[in-house]
Amino acid sequence: MNRPVPLLTAGGLTKAHGRTPALRGASVELHTGEILAVTGASGSGKSTLLHCLAGIVRPDEGSVTYDGRRLADLPEQRLSELRRTEFGVVFQFGQLIPELTALDNVALPLLLAGTDRARARALAGEWLERFGVRGQQDLRPGEMSGGQAQRTALARALVTGPRVVFADEPTGALDSLSGEQVMTALVHTARESGTAVLLITHDAQVAAYADREVQLRDGAVVPLEVTA
Amino acid sequence: MNSLRSDLRLAWELTRGSDRGEWWRVALTVTGAALATGFALAAVALASLRGGHQVPVAAGLLDEPGTRSGVIVGLLLLLVPVLGFLGQCARIGAVHRDRRLAGLRLAGATPWQVRRIAALETGLACLLGSAVATVLSVLLLLRQWDRPTALAWVGIALVAVAVPVLGAVAGALALRRVVASPLGWVRRIGPGSGRGPGLLFLAGVLLVAVLALLTVVTTSTAAPDRPNGRVPLTVMGVVLVVGAGAVWLSGATAKATGRVLAPRARSAATLIAAERLREDPWSAARTHAAVLLVTVVGTGFLGIRQVLSDVVHSTRHLAEPASYYTTGLDLTGAAIAIAFAITLSGLAVGTAESLATRRRGLAAQAAAGVPHTVLGRALLLETALPLAPAMLLSGLGGMTIGTGYAVLSGRPAPWAIALVPVAVYAACLLAAATSLPLLRRSVRPGELRYA
Repeated sequence: MNRPVPLLTAGGLTKAHGRTPALRGASVELHTGEILAVTGASGSGKSTLLHCLAGIVRPDEGSVTYDGRRLADLPEQRLSELRRTEFGVVFQFGQLIPELTALDNVALPLLLAGTDRARARALAGEWLERFGVRGQQDLRPGEMSGGQAQRTALARALVTGPRVVFADEPTGALDSLSGEQVMTALVHTARESGTAVLLITHDAQVAAYADREVQLRDGAVVPLEVTA
Repeated sequence: MNSLRSDLRLAWELTRGSDRGEWWRVALTVTGAALATGFALAAVALASLRGGHQVPVAAGLLDEPGTRSGVIVGLLLLLVPVLGFLGQCARIGAVHRDRRLAGLRLAGATPWQVRRIAALETGLACLLGSAVATVLSVLLLLRQWDRPTALAWVGIALVAVAVPVLGAVAGALALRRVVASPLGWVRRIGPGSGRGPGLLFLAGVLLVAVLALLTVVTTSTAAPDRPNGRVPLTVMGVVLVVGAGAVWLSGATAKATGRVLAPRARSAATLIAAERLREDPWSAARTHAAVLLVTVVGTGFLGIRQVLSDVVHSTRHLAEPASYYTTGLDLTGAAIAIAFAITLSGLAVGTAESLATRRRGLAAQAAAGVPHTVLGRALLLETALPLAPAMLLSGLGGMTIGTGYAVLSGRPAPWAIALVPVAVYAACLLAAATSLPLLRRSVRPGELRYA
């Protein structure tokens, strides 16, 4: 039986931060609608792998191909556009603009894409509703709880209808209940919209939400199948 | 003594282990302290003269007590932009420094120890700047003045000691919130909200005003047609009132601009800039106030200068040689130019500091696909938006002074001075734009690796 073509493929990635190697020939594939967890100990290169896959940094060696296009061939401007329109990125914290309300934070990617402000805010409101934080739409990130801020960040990552969401320890700064709410919201929305999710985590409970798990050890991928 | 030594060592270790921003802060604080010391020493040396003297510089302008006290007031006024500059320098890396010292409190340091470490950090930088400026000033003074009076030496010693002491006190006072609530400060991740216009800055300006008052009263001689120091005091009073008004005007226009624009913003850059202004309108108020003050004084002065130059060149019989008047005008112009340069430096430092504080958030925005151009435009708009209405008002104020003087003197109005606020505005945007290369560095993905 023919295997479907992966949406995102990375092969033989190496990357060093100064003299410290972070990735040593890591390879990974992500299929449309799949939720893939990348686990590993601190310093194993998980975040660097995500940065390479999302086109945030260029690997020293190896290549990343998204939907048939090599990211290395795309100029920085096109990569930014790709991250804005087809990718969604969620970090552990810090991605929301502290001066903007939750509603404006979620509306921001749409504004950048040229959507009218009123329409952008209306759509942002719908996404906040979906993530259960509509009541907090006028609050700024500093006025929200960690879980509310993270659900707002997820809404922001998904508002443009991306094909891939990269989530770097999205529950790392949250208590278990808030973490569960965030993961349930992410997985439910991804399944509903057919969005692929690359989930970086060191938490086995969070990794259990994924269809598949790969493990990073010393910058190299060690495959590990898990039941969905 | 032992505990002071260990605090000193700890302050040094903390600074040594800090990033480049901390070293920039130290270097710029040294520069600011050196400037403050230099201006204050020049004022003190002139103030120590009594009665008529032959001063071999400034075409006789410093020979008589009346004009001399005007120059002293001018030198003291130069301290105002220097204070603004020092205030901006103190903010470099402030968030990280505050967290570091709050961390010390949580680790068991007493409030007194934390205050002392903060005071040492700022005071030592001020001491270095003060020492360099004092040595250079004394060498320069001895070339012009064979035997300075005892009063001059006392004044020089007082200034050399006062600058680092005041710097240390300001450093300790700036940490009062950290000392009071270390836990809240360590965990603070959002921007400052509703900060006032800077009590330390206002206290510094008040100190300058009191010094100027004392100087004029003690150095100026009264004459039947010229009451004791009325003109310099009036100028000083007007400038300080305008300056104090400018601080509030700057903060108020920033807040109003943010409030008006935020709901109406159609582009991402305008929205980010407007919301930032609404959230923290006072962050740039001190520097912007100095810009407004320089604009009022500069625009008004250029109008007055044009009228006076016409008078000097068209009048055949002047009480003093023409160079006496033109030197006075040139010195005033030079002082305003220096004040403007210091103010622009403060503006550039303030913009760079604001970027450095937000670099992780900015890196996250860039990683999420927000184009660098949008972030750069937002940064420039944060300066451009609040300055525009404030600059219009200060330009009008300066033009009123310049044209009013021309009308009272029966001369044509100097309309060319209307270009001054435009030029100042453009220079401010250029100063803010000097931070754009830093923005490129700040949004590098490497920043995402640090909390």
